[in-house]
Amino acid sequence: MQFHLQHFIKAIVLGVFVLFFLDLHLSGDIMKYINPKYQNISKLAAGIFIVLFFVQLFRIFQRKGKGHHHGCGPGCHHGHDHGNEQFNLSRLFSYSVMIFPIITGFAFEPATLNSTIASNKGSIFSQVNQKETSPLNETTLTDKENIDIYSSDHVPLVNNNYLSNEEYEKKLLLLENSETIQMQEDIFGTYYEELNEQPKDYVGRTIKMSGFVFKEDGVNSNQLVVSRFMITHCIADASILGLLAEFKEANSFKEDTWLEIEGVLDVTKYGEYEIPVIKATSWKVIDEPTEPYVYPVLTLADS
Amino acid sequence: MPYSKKSSFNLSTIIFLLLVLGFVFFSPFFVTEKMTSLPQLNTIFLSILIEAIPFVLIGVLIAGFIQIFITEEHIKSWIPKSKVKAVLTSCIVGALFPACECGIVPIVRKLIDKGVPLYAGVGFLLTGPLINPIVILSTYMAFGNDMRMALLRMGVGFIAALAIALVISFLFKSNQLKQKERSVSNSIAKRPPLYQRVKGMFQHSIDEFFDMSKYLIIGAFVAASLQTFVPAQSLLAFGDSVYHSTIVMMGLAFFLSLCSEADAFIGASFRNLFPSTSILAFLVYGPMIDLKNMIMLLSVFKARFVFVLFLLITSIVYLFVTLTSFL
Repeated sequence: MQFHLQHFIKAIVLGVFVLFFLDLHLSGDIMKYINPKYQNISKLAAGIFIVLFFVQLFRIFQRKGKGHHHGCGPGCHHGHDHGNEQFNLSRLFSYSVMIFPIITGFAFEPATLNSTIASNKGSIFSQVNQKETSPLNETTLTDKENIDIYSSDHVPLVNNNYLSNEEYEKKLLLLENSETIQMQEDIFGTYYEELNEQPKDYVGRTIKMSGFVFKEDGVNSNQLVVSRFMITHCIADASILGLLAEFKEANSFKEDTWLEIEGVLDVTKYGEYEIPVIKATSWKVIDEPTEPYVYPVLTLADS
Repeated sequence: MPYSKKSSFNLSTIIFLLLVLGFVFFSPFFVTEKMTSLPQLNTIFLSILIEAIPFVLIGVLIAGFIQIFITEEHIKSWIPKSKVKAVLTSCIVGALFPACECGIVPIVRKLIDKGVPLYAGVGFLLTGPLINPIVILSTYMAFGNDMRMALLRMGVGFIAALAIALVISFLFKSNQLKQKERSVSNSIAKRPPLYQRVKGMFQHSIDEFFDMSKYLIIGAFVAASLQTFVPAQSLLAFGDSVYHSTIVMMGLAFFLSLCSEADAFIGASFRNLFPSTSILAFLVYGPMIDLKNMIMLLSVFKARFVFVLFLLITSIVYLFVTLTSFL
């Protein structure tokens, strides 16, 4: 029997990855990084890590000369990292790189994307598509196999964002008929798209929404943008959605303040684009919601 | 990785890594007022990793499986003799094989190591992440349930992949892997028991994971830094004709290093800024090569080859996509 330092270090690294992924799921922090829809694949990753960790444990103590017994036969030189070689500087570097994200992951709380990132994404209003009618988020998900996990009780998810067709239709009707348009998280993307495609149809309607304050270059001092990030897969692919709001006191709100705002919809010009604007009648500062992001809406086929 | 017993780091890798690290660590100081966005950077960085790691794990498991269960004899009998047929086959197999760009690198490396010709490996590498059911579905959704963009993406992508792999087949004769020796496959006669082989598969997967993931981590960090510190508008400085905007969108695809399953929504969000030709370039180019992917490729292949491949992909995709605007 011989103690293999390399294998020992690798086992530790794998063990730390296991802990990191378990912690992400148990604490619910995973939602601050990826769309909850993709939780399952990340749970699978945690499972694979656990298996690899146990396989690796058995490599720490191996009989001498059996380092290569995994079916390559004699004379096997892949030139890749078998962990039997000497410990040197480049190896130290590579293990440090692997540990780096785990350290920052445990050391720092996940941040919510803010207006700095928003300003890097390009103009909100010129991204809004007016010509093509494109219900951006409408999908029919025919298989229901992914759904059950969301009914489990440990992490309540507002934004699991699977709606049955029936619910979806109902929500669309509400957009047309309700007294106040409620920009709820589970339908945000769809409503947003509708409002921007046909801003004129909604003039005079009352709207209620919450979001963080973002001041895009070029907005007036009595205007601000009430914004949300929409996450397709992970935070890195976030796109910014926002409605222009207009009220005298807009000036006094700093960027990244969360506001709940109510007002009447109107149309204004932004460059060459016609965009909706909220003439705010009431507003209040709120805490950042536990789920700051919105997700593309998926509908379930009623089979 | 170049960790053979004698030589360790290859010089070009060191220089490249230093450049990358230098860029990453010094870039924040040029934009000092944005220093407060370090927590944002960390979050974006981790989210790219958390998103990518499951796919890398699946990739290394497949690579481990190939290492232990598939022999060179198998591969010889599967790959057609003629170059053109081999390239075509590999592109079709890649199109049928659901993979993402980080997961596919270890698989391709293992396949080439087992004797798959370089050009066939490249065909597989290019179509694997680009053409698969999830990507088609998400493209279809992102462009307002319109099949046109999804079809163009697949069609142009497939033809471009064929062309690139064919050119590679004329330019390079050897396998271009960094390691010199090929793994000696076990002959059927002395095949160990199944339990041993499954164990061997997992052990290989672990080694492969350790080889790959440090490059993924560096790539994710650079991509996250760019997102945090560089405004997208700065790309617009290049100019606004179709020819320029196509370059801009390809640059964006390269530096953002998005997963091919998610990039369609981002591409779609540029519809008002850019013509659809440029957006098509974004959609075809990104899955074929991006920053994160290129750093991983550099760990597997010789730097010169990766550079040539990069130039080829860039020019051929640009050419083909531009041609579609005349259709």
